[in-house]
Amino acid sequence: MNCTHWEERIALYAGGDLPAAEAAEVERHLGDCPGCQLFASGLKESLQLLQGIHQDPIALAHFAAVRARVMAELEGSLQPWWRKAWMYGLAVAVAAALFLMLALRPAAPVHPKRMAVQVLLPQVDVAPPEPVVPRVIKAHGVRRPRVRPPAVVPRAPGPPIVVKLLTDDPDVVIYWITDNSGE
Amino acid sequence: MKVLAFLATIPIEGPDERAAAIPSAQAGDLAAFEALMRRHERLVLVTALRLVGNMADAQDVSQEVFLRLYRNLDKVEEARNLPGWLYRVTVNASHDVLRKRPAADPMEYAAHVPASGLDPQQSTAEAERRRVLEMSLRLLSEKERAALVLRDLEGLSTEEVARVLGSSEATVRSQISKARVKVKGFVERYFRRRT
Ligand SMILES: [Zn+2]
Repeated sequence: MNCTHWEERIALYAGGDLPAAEAAEVERHLGDCPGCQLFASGLKESLQLLQGIHQDPIALAHFAAVRARVMAELEGSLQPWWRKAWMYGLAVAVAAALFLMLALRPAAPVHPKRMAVQVLLPQVDVAPPEPVVPRVIKAHGVRRPRVRPPAVVPRAPGPPIVVKLLTDDPDVVIYWITDNSGE
Repeated sequence: MKVLAFLATIPIEGPDERAAAIPSAQAGDLAAFEALMRRHERLVLVTALRLVGNMADAQDVSQEVFLRLYRNLDKVEEARNLPGWLYRVTVNASHDVLRKRPAADPMEYAAHVPASGLDPQQSTAEAERRRVLEMSLRLLSEKERAALVLRDLEGLSTEEVARVLGSSEATVRSQISKARVKVKGFVERYFRRRT
């Protein structure tokens, strides 16, 4: 039986939304039509399922968060005018005080510092590096020159490098000492 | 006053509490307003959650609804009018959120914290139930969803739903029946696939 035209009425009937006379008419049809009976019971079941899920508890924290946000906003907006004025006044006073401090600060003479840098390198005997000798290797009958990578010779750590910074002030000399590990 | 008569049909609390909370809140008593909020917070947050589909947006909607309530307390003459007013403002605020949402960002359920005291297995089952509800509602148009949520989940009468949504009862009936048929189809497909 093609009962498409019954669908809307059965859907309303399933949720109790039909007036008595129309509901009775639907019930008569359901009595004669197994397909619509199945349709109606499916509608009722799915509605009951959703209604059950809708009643599932929701964590109280979600409600509390909303309440806190609303109350914070209301408390902020309901602050008395004199308190807001006091806050603004304080902020303006602090800003003005800072401005005055900066503006009225006695100008100190500025001496550009000149520095002389002197690097004190210790005398160390360093052997000259070995010359790189191209080596000829026979491979597949073709002679190809190959460059041997330079041998890595570990160097003994040398004495530290001392940098001496001479300032304008004869009493101030800055020494910078760095490790000369040879790496 | 037709609207007042309709709103009076949604009971929320005892007459004494109703009588006391609104005048105190109107007089600037924030504690009274907080008590008012507590009484209606489920109505607002859960309705918004069903309409917008995720907890973060639902909380934004709830915040907006309660701030609007505070600003309009003088317009709520009696506590019995309040639920209808809250449903209407919640639906409107939820629609605003959905309109601002990019088209590519469909209704999505942000995993929300399960109710306390549930073991992991329970919370998994609960999450699946929520998912069925969320996906069913996602299938519906905005108006069908609002009609179904108010009528079938919140339990308002068709007449009340029509007043909240500002449409005719015939329109609401049509939206509800279409929504129910879509939801049935989804639920059956969902469980058939799983068996
Ligand atoms: Zn039939």
